[in-house]
Amino acid sequence: MSQFNQGHDTAGLQSIKLDRRQLLRAAAMSAGSLMIPMTLSGCASNVPKGSFDDSMRPNAWLEITPENRFYLTLDRVEMGQGTYTGMATILGEELDVSPERFLLNFAPVGDDYKQPEYGLQITGGSSSVSSNWQRLRRAGAEGRAMLKEAAAKVWNVDVSSVQTDNGDCIHPRTQQRLSYGELVGIAQSISLKSEPELKTQDQFKYIGKQRVRLDAHAKTFGKAVFGIDIEKEDLLFAVISRPEILGGKVGSFNDAAARQSSGVVAIFEVPRGIAVVAKSYWQARKAQEKLEINWVPGEMGLLSSADISALYQQKLADEKGSSIRDDGDWDDAVDAAADVFEATYTAPFLAHATMEPMNCTAWLTKGECHVWAPTQGPDIARALAVKESGLSHDDVHIHTTYIGGGFGRRLSQDYVAEAVSVARHVDKPVKVIWSREEDMTNDPYRPATQHQLSATFDAAGKLTGWKHKLAGPRIIDYFARDAVGAMVPTWVPQMMVNGLSKVAPGYAPDESPVEGAADLPYAIDAVDVRYVHADAGVPVSYWRSVGHSQNGFVVESFIDELAIKSKQDPAAFRRSLLSAHPRHLGVLDAVLAASQWGANKTTSTGEKIYQGVACHKSFNTYVAQVIDITADGNQFKVHRVYCATDCGLVVNPDVVQAQMEGGIIFALTAALYGEITLKDGRVQQSNFHDYKALRMDEVPEIIVEVLASNESPTGVGEPSVPPVAPALANAIYAATGKRLRSLPLRLDV
Amino acid sequence: MKFTVNGKEMSFTGDEETPLLWVIRDEFDLKGTKFGCGKGLCGACTVHLNGSAIRSCVTPVGALANLSVTTIEGIGSAEHPHPLQAAWQALNVPQCGYCQPGQLMSASALLAANPSPTDDDINTAMSGNICRCGTYPRIKKAIHLASDAMAKSVDLAVEVKA
Repeated sequence: MSQFNQGHDTAGLQSIKLDRRQLLRAAAMSAGSLMIPMTLSGCASNVPKGSFDDSMRPNAWLEITPENRFYLTLDRVEMGQGTYTGMATILGEELDVSPERFLLNFAPVGDDYKQPEYGLQITGGSSSVSSNWQRLRRAGAEGRAMLKEAAAKVWNVDVSSVQTDNGDCIHPRTQQRLSYGELVGIAQSISLKSEPELKTQDQFKYIGKQRVRLDAHAKTFGKAVFGIDIEKEDLLFAVISRPEILGGKVGSFNDAAARQSSGVVAIFEVPRGIAVVAKSYWQARKAQEKLEINWVPGEMGLLSSADISALYQQKLADEKGSSIRDDGDWDDAVDAAADVFEATYTAPFLAHATMEPMNCTAWLTKGECHVWAPTQGPDIARALAVKESGLSHDDVHIHTTYIGGGFGRRLSQDYVAEAVSVARHVDKPVKVIWSREEDMTNDPYRPATQHQLSATFDAAGKLTGWKHKLAGPRIIDYFARDAVGAMVPTWVPQMMVNGLSKVAPGYAPDESPVEGAADLPYAIDAVDVRYVHADAGVPVSYWRSVGHSQNGFVVESFIDELAIKSKQDPAAFRRSLLSAHPRHLGVLDAVLAASQWGANKTTSTGEKIYQGVACHKSFNTYVAQVIDITADGNQFKVHRVYCATDCGLVVNPDVVQAQMEGGIIFALTAALYGEITLKDGRVQQSNFHDYKALRMDEVPEIIVEVLASNESPTGVGEPSVPPVAPALANAIYAATGKRLRSLPLRLDV
Repeated sequence: MKFTVNGKEMSFTGDEETPLLWVIRDEFDLKGTKFGCGKGLCGACTVHLNGSAIRSCVTPVGALANLSVTTIEGIGSAEHPHPLQAAWQALNVPQCGYCQPGQLMSASALLAANPSPTDDDINTAMSGNICRCGTYPRIKKAIHLASDAMAKSVDLAVEVKA
């Protein structure tokens, strides 16, 4: 069990609306008349065995030893989003223990640790705080109530007279004090008669105040253990040559020269390509260079970006699409319109480009399979390791680590499956490491999409109708293939799981392509949102803010176009259509004030500043941004990003601040540079020279305001991403009169 | 092949083309230095060679005879952190944390050469280090904070604890 005495970080990313029951029902029906019981995960499963025999382990998240060590078993993964600090703050609040006192265990795969809304043990959808807010508070309150009862027993006093103070029980009248550790022996046998009451907001000591980031220490001294840092005795290293052609396969290969290379242990074919195992990573790479492989194209042939764009265009022209939202009557709005305004928007494929390239260590030994993986979905990883190893679930153990950037990439478990497929061929632990080039060219990408927008105006110039028809793939079709293995009960035979994984994709619902489009907040009489399924076969996945990443850009750019067409100030125009949405208005007004919207600002050298605004809700968190730029010909410079957010009650103010900053910079990278293109079946970008990331000298000043709120807390890992591209596009329009409707935003093409 | 790492003499007998990165990580078990791009483009592998920041992923170990390498493990400890490490904690700089050892090595080389850097100096020295989490604004603040503390001989580590 990993134990770190400091830790925490930012992760957060996906919207996975996978209705487990619906998926299983559909899959079971289509697979014949298989009956799959719908066992729901929850609190019924066993409390995991504590790491110390004499400790108190009242529930799956908390362990207290007699020596006053406090362990948090973290059921979400820490990838930078700060969930370690967040969860320790929530648990510590109700237990009455300072968050900094918690030591960290990463959770094993277990039903208790599933994200309840998804039915999977995944970290995504900016959901860790919202989904654990109640259950971790209850977990802490339960521990505290048991300890108070134990103290009351020892002192022979009424439990209502026992108070707590950061890890101690105290009896004020008699001035007695016992540490939680001293009470563990008695407390662990106490069974509570009723569920303890939770604190009220005015009683919070740590929530809203905790400022120390618990993983900052380990990460400042190079001590945090990421997946790539796993060390084992006799560890071998593997690299895999994967198809250079997207969807391609190995035709033939010659490894005669590679086998002679120094340090090589074995070379063999695995489902993903040709694996080279050597005593060191460098030896594996040197040998790999000597491999001769003939690749043959797969079903996709030699796909290029232009083909995909043409496919989307064709589908949008030919198909009506499925209706996602239908307010009022769009056709009537068109008939009655004095003016119909149309525009087409596009968004490209994007790579995740996490700083820690994909890697995974696997070891098949003594009838067991151990996997060490930086993964956002350990239960899906386990399902794939079961499939690849042929072992039972009980014999497969997934050990999670700190994650060097997730952004959704590590929800796909392809890198785990292939590591196990390699480990089957060797009798020692083996670490598969991807090069940056392999990582970038074999990513499951953020989907490329195409959007047709139309708006109607009446004779008085009033906006009467909005139509948004979009085309793109469904992420669930790729995700469900692997996820289904973690959703069915573990006794379901592998053959049946394999069958389900083939049929599940087409049946599982997927809201992600239309999120941020379907929930258009603006008050418009006729709203028609349609989705056209268009999939060229390029593997896709969740990418920080998912469908909001495209739809936020499209919706918040087009509404700006309509404001300008209506000859209204873009901010005032939005405000006039948001009166039913006070929280949108709240963040919008806050950012307008902070940015001195419309104040005719100049830089210190007298250059005119142009501003763009955007306002978008995602993952139940509201964010508005204003971006200040200057422009000169085809060049523009981003000077400042103002950001206001309402994420409900704030658990860790500085983590919220950091996530807003980080999401903005992540989104600026995408808005300015992000684009994965294909030519003749090959991904054209390979490393940070041609898939650029924002660097220190390009970062604008970022000013964040976090609004006070008593609403339930919501996630912050993703919501600052969607408004960036449209706010910037809107600023570019203000500066140049050029409306950029394709990402990335380039004036010179 | 002999060279010093964090003041200790180390030897490596394998392929002299092996990048220093993999030797310090896998032969010397100093895992703080990270692999990011393999082409010297991202800075995650930054270490000091005789005090200057270099990219260890593109530095063949054969070029290092009798030279002195410093890694993240060599610039400070929990008990005696480098002022930058204290500043990094004070400002909660890390998110995922993967790039931070490289960021700290670039920053510490900068402060050694230029104890009072301007924003432009920091941009120049640090623009070889990518952070996908977007911790740049805090990195810049932390470098200034450490620089100020060094100028005033303030022990940030003590300040942080207090």
